[in-house]
Amino acid sequence: MNSPQPERIATAVVEPRRRDTGALVFLADLSRSLAVSLDLRQTLTQAITRVRDFLEVEGIALFLLDPASQVLECQVSAGPIDVTGMRLAVGQGIVGQALAQDATQIVADAGSDARVWRGSDEASGFVTRSLVCAPLRTAAGPIGVIEIVNRRDGAPFTAADAELLELVAAPAALAINNARMAGELLEQQRLKRELDLARHLQKSLLPRRRRDGFPVLGVNRPAHEMSGDFYDYFELTDGSIGFLIGDISGKGLDAALLMMRAASLLRWIGKERLAPAAWLARANEELCDSAREGRFVCAVVGYCDRAARHVRFASAGFPPVLVHSGGQYRQYLADGPPLGIVREAQFTEHALALDGGTLYAFSDGATDVRGSDGKPIGMAGLLALIQRHAQATPKARLRSLLGELRRLHLVDDTTFLLIEAAQVERPQLLFSDRMPARADAMRGLRTQLRAAFDREALEPRLRDELVLAVDEACTNVIRHGYGPACEGPLEVRATRCAAMLTLEIIDEAPAIDPATFKPGTLGECRCGGLGIALIDRIMDDWHIEPAETGRGNRLVLRKHIEAWASEEAEES
Amino acid sequence: MSANANAVTRQRVDGATIVCLQGEVDLSWSQQVRRAVLDAFADGVPVGVDLAGVGYIDSSGIAALVEGLQLGRARGQRFALVAPSDAVRAVLELARLDRVFTIVDSAAAVGAAT
Repeated sequence: MNSPQPERIATAVVEPRRRDTGALVFLADLSRSLAVSLDLRQTLTQAITRVRDFLEVEGIALFLLDPASQVLECQVSAGPIDVTGMRLAVGQGIVGQALAQDATQIVADAGSDARVWRGSDEASGFVTRSLVCAPLRTAAGPIGVIEIVNRRDGAPFTAADAELLELVAAPAALAINNARMAGELLEQQRLKRELDLARHLQKSLLPRRRRDGFPVLGVNRPAHEMSGDFYDYFELTDGSIGFLIGDISGKGLDAALLMMRAASLLRWIGKERLAPAAWLARANEELCDSAREGRFVCAVVGYCDRAARHVRFASAGFPPVLVHSGGQYRQYLADGPPLGIVREAQFTEHALALDGGTLYAFSDGATDVRGSDGKPIGMAGLLALIQRHAQATPKARLRSLLGELRRLHLVDDTTFLLIEAAQVERPQLLFSDRMPARADAMRGLRTQLRAAFDREALEPRLRDELVLAVDEACTNVIRHGYGPACEGPLEVRATRCAAMLTLEIIDEAPAIDPATFKPGTLGECRCGGLGIALIDRIMDDWHIEPAETGRGNRLVLRKHIEAWASEEAEES
Repeated sequence: MSANANAVTRQRVDGATIVCLQGEVDLSWSQQVRRAVLDAFADGVPVGVDLAGVGYIDSSGIAALVEGLQLGRARGQRFALVAPSDAVRAVLELARLDRVFTIVDSAAAVGAAT
């Protein structure tokens, strides 16, 4: 601290009367106390008092700019007159000019300077003889001004006083700016936490997927954090099932909050078993009472029996309901207005026999998806997608539909409700091929298997391991099953049931004694043993059994796929 | 995965014999690979197997490499794998053999490997 260098700098900027006070030491100490301050307002109050005494001035004040109102307000002051709370416009007085010009202002003789605003002196009786104002500078522009008034020795302020004030202003600006940014960050984190909570709450309103032969299935993909779409279904005491799907106009938090209200309102009215048209009419009256201006709700509500033979529903401004039955697609347009707009609106009920067909209701997000040409795919595009996956089970179909829509460009919340007689969940065939049990057929098999696993979006490393497991199993059949001389057929199948992948390798070779089919120790590295050890390591479990045809063997390899499990969990 | 045709070439690099494999090593080809690896020891110098161009290897291919390792030990000749591709590394790791083999980054390092 006593090194000659600080003295030299201090000499350059400070007049003789302050040379001995150690300007640099003072500034370093001031910067430190501002930087570590937890309560900035209190620290600033103490700091400016110290600055006032150090600079030997009568009064000092610190003004901060409110970015929204563009008004400078005095936050802290020290001197004969307390000016805390004084408000000035940008450009008003010397303080306002220091900010507007982002430059230090020196007024040697306030009495003769027309720029000086005299309102304060007139009110207080204080006489301002001389003053200096320095802006509080940040990278994003000035955030306030620090002002000193009247040297105690009665002399006018000089350029050296102004330079010293600028040196004080720098750490003050930095500390204030840091405190503000920390505050903003906290606020952002708080908002994010609340939004997360709201999203979870909203998601918890969606019904859990039912697995016990339930005919109604729904999915919802929000385009942003909060969704304006909803769906629900519930069982009534007579065994029938009520269902609903809806879409709130507009986006954002207030749409999401209205969604929560509309969803619970529709659910509670539905439980009273009102006919679909009356159900909508009742909800309409309620929402007309409470929906905020410009917000409305489009919805389809209805009932079906558990076997999904008959369905009746009514629509309020919702996109057409699509019914696929007997090879035909029919659209049922909405015949009532959206809910929450006009009182005493009328709605019409449709009742139809589904006869093993499927009813689809979907929010407009599904047709607003952008195709490769950048235009919405529309009803025709969506129909083509549904048609492409019509053979899959309802669950797999919804998953594929959503997958395809997501590969295009989702611009809005997208929600589907599907009604179809439930079938026993059957495994989904991912791959099946029959080939001669020859080593030179393996490369082609591997290529096809990789493609099949890629279609299921398996991660490359896992995909390659699974391909290796199948290859090793086939190689085993080729080497040991059929023997060197005779060849036979080989069949490979891959199926998915929920999150379980099953790989089957079926041959027509003489029956193998399962007891002899076990992994060798890796240390000895027998060729056949190594292949089985690899299978053992890659798969969760495997076993060999006689083929169903009674001739040959069936090797079954199984693995639980984590990615599929989280996919399933997301859908339920 | 590479659709490269399978190929095996042999060359001398800095006093070592390098067997360079290209393609997919499976049962259809592993006997030739095995022969090429074992033959490489005839020169009496260190042997390296370059696996940078191998997009797939199964246990029959790994077995050929293990035989090379064993023969090298028996004859007192160095044996190393050169720059195995990610696909090969993954299978070596799966078979817990990644630390059994000497693995070097370049053919030039085989003769120098200790």
